[in-house]
Amino acid sequence: MRRGVVLVGVALIVLAAWAAPGLAQDEGEPDQSEPTVLTGTLRLGFDQFFAGVEITAADESGTRVGQVTTDQDGRWTIEVPAAGDYLVTLNEQTLPEGISLREGHQSTTEATVLQGASRAVVFAVGEAPKGTPFGERAAQTVFNGLKFGLIIAMSAIGLSLIYGTTGLVNFAHGELVTFGAVIAWYFNTSWGGLNLVLAALAAMVVCGLLGAGMETGLFRPLRRKRLWIFQLLVVTIGLSLLGRQLIQLFFGPEPLPYTDFQVQQRWEFGPWAVTPREVVTVVAIIAVLVGAGLVLQFSRFGKATRAVSDNPGLAEASGINVNRVVLWVWVLGTTLAGLGGVFQGLDTDIDPFLGFQLLLLIFAGVELGGFGTAFGALVGSLIIGMSTEVSTLWISPELKFVVPLAALIGMVLLRPQGLFGIKARVG
Amino acid sequence: MDFSIIFGNAARAAFGPEAVILALAAIGLNVHFGYTGLLNIGQVGFLLLGAYGTSVSVATFGWSLWAGVVVGLLLSVAFAVALGIPTLRLNTVMFAMVTIAAAEIIRILIGSTDAIGLTGGPLSVSFDAGAFYDLNPYPDGPHDRYGIGTFEFTGQQLWVITVGWLLVALVTAGVVMLVRSPWGRVLKSIREDQDAARSLGKNVFSYKMQALVIGGAIGGMGGVIDAIKTSGADPNGFRPQVTFFAYTALLLGGSATYLGPVLGAVLFWFLREWIESFLRQIVEEAWLPDVVAEFFDGAEGVISVAMVGVALILLMLLRPQGIVGNRTEMQLDAR
Amino acid sequence: MPDELTPQADSEQREAALPPADGGVPAIEPAPADGGVPAIEPILTVPHEPGAPKPDPILEVDGLSRSFGGLLAVDVDHLEVQRGATTALIGPNGAGKTTLFNLLSGFERADTGHWSFNGEAVTNPSADGLARKGMIRTFQLTKSLAKLTVIDNVLLGAPRQRGEKLWAAPFPNRWRSQEEANTERAEALLERFNLAHMRDELAGTLSGGQRKLLEVARALMADPVLIMLDEPMAGVNPALAQSLMHHITQLVYEGLSVVFIEHAMDVVTGISDWVVVLAQGQVIAEGPPWKVIHDDQVIDAYLGRRRAGAAR
Repeated sequence: MRRGVVLVGVALIVLAAWAAPGLAQDEGEPDQSEPTVLTGTLRLGFDQFFAGVEITAADESGTRVGQVTTDQDGRWTIEVPAAGDYLVTLNEQTLPEGISLREGHQSTTEATVLQGASRAVVFAVGEAPKGTPFGERAAQTVFNGLKFGLIIAMSAIGLSLIYGTTGLVNFAHGELVTFGAVIAWYFNTSWGGLNLVLAALAAMVVCGLLGAGMETGLFRPLRRKRLWIFQLLVVTIGLSLLGRQLIQLFFGPEPLPYTDFQVQQRWEFGPWAVTPREVVTVVAIIAVLVGAGLVLQFSRFGKATRAVSDNPGLAEASGINVNRVVLWVWVLGTTLAGLGGVFQGLDTDIDPFLGFQLLLLIFAGVELGGFGTAFGALVGSLIIGMSTEVSTLWISPELKFVVPLAALIGMVLLRPQGLFGIKARVG
Repeated sequence: MDFSIIFGNAARAAFGPEAVILALAAIGLNVHFGYTGLLNIGQVGFLLLGAYGTSVSVATFGWSLWAGVVVGLLLSVAFAVALGIPTLRLNTVMFAMVTIAAAEIIRILIGSTDAIGLTGGPLSVSFDAGAFYDLNPYPDGPHDRYGIGTFEFTGQQLWVITVGWLLVALVTAGVVMLVRSPWGRVLKSIREDQDAARSLGKNVFSYKMQALVIGGAIGGMGGVIDAIKTSGADPNGFRPQVTFFAYTALLLGGSATYLGPVLGAVLFWFLREWIESFLRQIVEEAWLPDVVAEFFDGAEGVISVAMVGVALILLMLLRPQGIVGNRTEMQLDAR
Repeated sequence: MPDELTPQADSEQREAALPPADGGVPAIEPAPADGGVPAIEPILTVPHEPGAPKPDPILEVDGLSRSFGGLLAVDVDHLEVQRGATTALIGPNGAGKTTLFNLLSGFERADTGHWSFNGEAVTNPSADGLARKGMIRTFQLTKSLAKLTVIDNVLLGAPRQRGEKLWAAPFPNRWRSQEEANTERAEALLERFNLAHMRDELAGTLSGGQRKLLEVARALMADPVLIMLDEPMAGVNPALAQSLMHHITQLVYEGLSVVFIEHAMDVVTGISDWVVVLAQGQVIAEGPPWKVIHDDQVIDAYLGRRRAGAAR
């Protein structure tokens, strides 16, 4: 339900452009005689037009400059006093029964209009999810929650393991997630146009190398210098800012999609309607997480990781090469974070803030499960993803991120060691 | 290349209202983190409440601007108390997480469409700050400008920064008087080792709460100035990175020093604007091959914020004590 | 960071630093003739058994217990500490000595039990509240406030400071006279503990032994009724240790009650009037030092294990 029928969405945007044929010329040469207007058409598909819907325009200071209702062809036009930025709001209450804004679309959008130009404003409406029975919606949000939780979990394992082995709370972890998504996008588009699967694998390699570079080039020397924990925290905050800005510099601020797997027919499984893309996301993440779990549980590397988390000094003394373990933890963690970014990018498109938006949720998941344990991070992240999505059954989707943040606070207050942490570890 | 324009722009930013707001946020953090050791990374929440408290009181409830200022400050104090009661016993990292999460929750709630009726939601809120500008002693005709070159302000701007820097001076003096007293000695002892303070009969919770409230109220003042300056508030202006900028200012100047946060805020804006102006000039004067110029064009702001990140990293590595900090003191931290 | 500041170095230094035991003969200095201070004699009449009642207890403990993950760290049936005496708390590693200190001083919560301090039942124990009532403790790992000057460290100890109230703090005239009096007293304490020359240095620059002295000076500044020292001699060089021992015996003559945790038997026999032996959280023996160190149970639980450790 999240994307509705993707095809229709694309068609709508094309239609909207077509509905305002004068747009291109008007923007090019401002004409004092023509009125400056905001305009649009409310429709679903090719045959449904919505009349009587209230549209309001306000200038930047919030002062209302016009209000109209749509005509029988769903058209509306508001003449505005001057060129500038306007906020256009659709009154959702006035939409017909069973119709609502599509999920992820706001009732208010910003539009810039030039003098004498006509600017088209698109409100994407669709069949209201409320029309579907509660059980079905619940099933769908549970699936969305599972998918989102798995993405968080994949990204969270690195944060948790790095904290466990070195005590570093890495605020730049979100940017590692973004980095994975963005590098895969480049491989997918301008660098050879690889198939997304190959692009994702290539991005994982690049992320792993970056992780190894960060550990050997920055954090290992810093550990040797015995920086105070606060200094390390600030270094990661600086890295986070730097990384995000650099990504924005090269990638640009606008969200962009991958070229593959965008338009897909949904499969129906009982109450679920999911795209093959989503199924692949869930299955692939589960497979990777099981693999990572097996490695961490049974391999020499996994045991060494636990030993270092437990007591680095003792691990070192008993012949474990702590630096090497930490290096591989970084490589594993950043690789998984990058792959998590690819999946998140596939789900919501890629933008420079993708990872930073996930960061607090990753913290919440890691804290919920207990800092420093991979298994805890997995379970905590699933709970966070699930509660975030399922909450939209009752609260507005805009507010859904309040839920994991509140869970983070509640957990810190009630059980700071997390669900699976050991009490003594937390000061 | 005209360096007078670059330096003029940089100076205007360094002494402009943005620097005042950043300085207040950083002074508040200095009380929290510098003197008491409370790692508050949700300082932006205090600014948000100061700004929205003022704006909403005037815009939605139609109260006077002065009542709005009081409401803004009270809200930031209330936030400090509500935040402090459950969290002041937590360890540093846990406390930090709660502060950033709490500030984000407030921002999401205030900026949601459900809150449009009260706060303007995503539309932001605006009000008439006339009561403040009525007191403006500087002639403010359309052609009145104060300053030289690009370092110039309108009469209204000059009035805002006059009041703003006076406030910064007063607050700084207040903080100096407080931390020089035995009260300040207790704060520092809590920063160093709270168990030692408790073993000597100091009620650590109470002192931390006092510090949290004072630093939060100072941050709230920054929010109030922000609201008056822009005659409103916008939820997008209160993202987590505002707190990180305030930490950059504090660490740049020197944590736990009297003038550090103020110098840091001035320097922060000076450098940011200097870089932006410099890049803009480079692009304009076509010194660079077109490909490179195109790359920089329009990205000056992005690059200057990236430089903030670089500055934070280098500061921590090379001069963790800041400009006016004491190196030996800092080394004692490496425990 | 200088090596001597690390805990390991502290303990090594201690082993090497302390003078050899002088044969276990009690070396209780006689009380002053004028008898102005609660005398040590009354305690000598007390039965030498765990939980023995004292003539004038400053601390009375009943049924105190605390367990960590199923392991009973402290399980004290009954214990009284005599006012005006120096009581040593000894026992093998992990016997629960520090935990007992933490419970009594309000730094950790007891699972069960109650106790009274200075004739007053301790309901709702809080570390700062107990300290304000005069129970001042120090820590095994010194907690000197590294970025405060030595004199500020000591001044922090002063009780009931007017300038510590937020509303008075900005007005020096409200607290300056008290601060000056406190400073005078603090300087005298620094003099007494040979720290006067370090007055304005940051405490973080002191050596490990000097920090121990600073911590004791700071504790004394707080006007304690009972002072509880957790391994005061650990990491202190021999000369300083001697003077610290002297200072501790001196405290009792000034009317204080002292409880201290110590591993070195020569220190215990040298300055304590009474010894309480803790093993596996329980009080297994009590008595004057010369008696306790010959107690079979004590030798089994404590000295025996220590000898075995030494032989290894």
